[in-house]
Amino acid sequence: MTSQQTGGPLVQLTGVNKWFGELHVLQDIDLSIDRGEVVVVIGPSGSGKSTLCRTINRLESIEKGEISIDGQRLPEEGKQLARLRSDVGMVFQSFNLFAHKTILENVMLGPTKVRRTSKADAEKRARELLERVGVSAQADKYPAQLSGGQQQRVAIARALAMDPKVMLFDEPTSALDPEMINEVLDVMTSLAREGMTMIVVTHEMGFARRAANRVVFMDGGRIVEAADPQTFFTNPRSERARDFLSKILDH
Amino acid sequence: MSFLAENWPVLRDAFLTTLSLALLSGLFSLLLGTVLVAMRVSPVAPLRGLATFYVEVFRNTPLTVVFFFLVFGIVQIDLSFPSRFIAAVSALSLYTSAFVAEALRSGINAVPPGQAEAARALGLDFGQTLRQVVLPQAFRTVVPPLGNVWIALAKNTSIAAGFAVSDLTAALTRLSNANADELALVFAAIVVGYLVITLPSAALFRLLERRVAIVR
Repeated sequence: MTSQQTGGPLVQLTGVNKWFGELHVLQDIDLSIDRGEVVVVIGPSGSGKSTLCRTINRLESIEKGEISIDGQRLPEEGKQLARLRSDVGMVFQSFNLFAHKTILENVMLGPTKVRRTSKADAEKRARELLERVGVSAQADKYPAQLSGGQQQRVAIARALAMDPKVMLFDEPTSALDPEMINEVLDVMTSLAREGMTMIVVTHEMGFARRAANRVVFMDGGRIVEAADPQTFFTNPRSERARDFLSKILDH
Repeated sequence: MSFLAENWPVLRDAFLTTLSLALLSGLFSLLLGTVLVAMRVSPVAPLRGLATFYVEVFRNTPLTVVFFFLVFGIVQIDLSFPSRFIAAVSALSLYTSAFVAEALRSGINAVPPGQAEAARALGLDFGQTLRQVVLPQAFRTVVPPLGNVWIALAKNTSIAAGFAVSDLTAALTRLSNANADELALVFAAIVVGYLVITLPSAALFRLLERRVAIVR
């Protein structure tokens, strides 16, 4: 595989547009994310932030514009797309652990089937990752036997097992009970500290302040403003962002 | 009872013929049905169309007509099967695979879409996603409907009797014609023959259902 270690951005979106039927969900999105950068995407529901996240590994197709990862344009279909996806880790709101496989098998599936890693090596690495996210004791259980917080940490381990260049988090804590949110955010924060490139769609403003290099605020399918967290939270430029922040930060 | 003992070889052979018709057709229709459903959910439109066409044709054609075509119809184009038994297995497999495909499709639809998305996000291609993640979960939810398809197939084998295959139903005709005074006994023997195939398999499917159930 050719990894283009250019100085260019790791993820680049140029003029991205997407429609769901009549609904113009993404409008002229330009966004570039550097290696090691942590970008938090916030905005009201229906603003297109999850859709944006899902276009980056083409779980959602786009009608116009261009997305490239590490200098490579996102292929439309087939093996090339699968290969590119293997370099992009994704964590879903609803965990999506494979229900018929144990925790350990969940983490081993990608490496053994996509990377053709040997079972022994994949298992060793999977156990390390499970240890790291604090669920090694659950390795032989099935997803449904774990709490939501544990499942989401397994999902992070499963994505990390592919050694991704970038990690996408699509509202990773929105389906969790309040007391489990922090255990997931802690894992994400430590990932951010270690220099993982991350794109995080979330409502967790504490995480944004703590871990983000940049906050991107979306509304109505557009990026309304982007700034470092300090600037964004203390002095948002747009009326829309001020309004949004006043609603969620007041209580 | 001596009547049954006298005719035991006939009954035994007929039973074994029915059993092999059911088992072989069951196996082939499971394989063909899986291929069909993979085509049906594939991203390639012509494959989807072809599979849909196949399923609708065979699901909506009477089995007797399928038999008729494979036994007599293809002779018109200078084709024939090496034996009536093989023709019967083919007709039953072609017909039943359409129902297997539909049962499997209902199972695939029952697998939450997030499962396939997670697999694709890891970099698994279409075939791997289907084999590793979607189908194993689909098979589990379709054990009961597949059980129904299997029982229907076991009984549908009786159509073969009309096309010179010496199965249980053919034995029924033969023995009842020759022994009008023992009609009840002949019927009982034949029905027991079918029950021996269908009843244990119903129990087996229930067991299978419990074994492969997944906790969600």
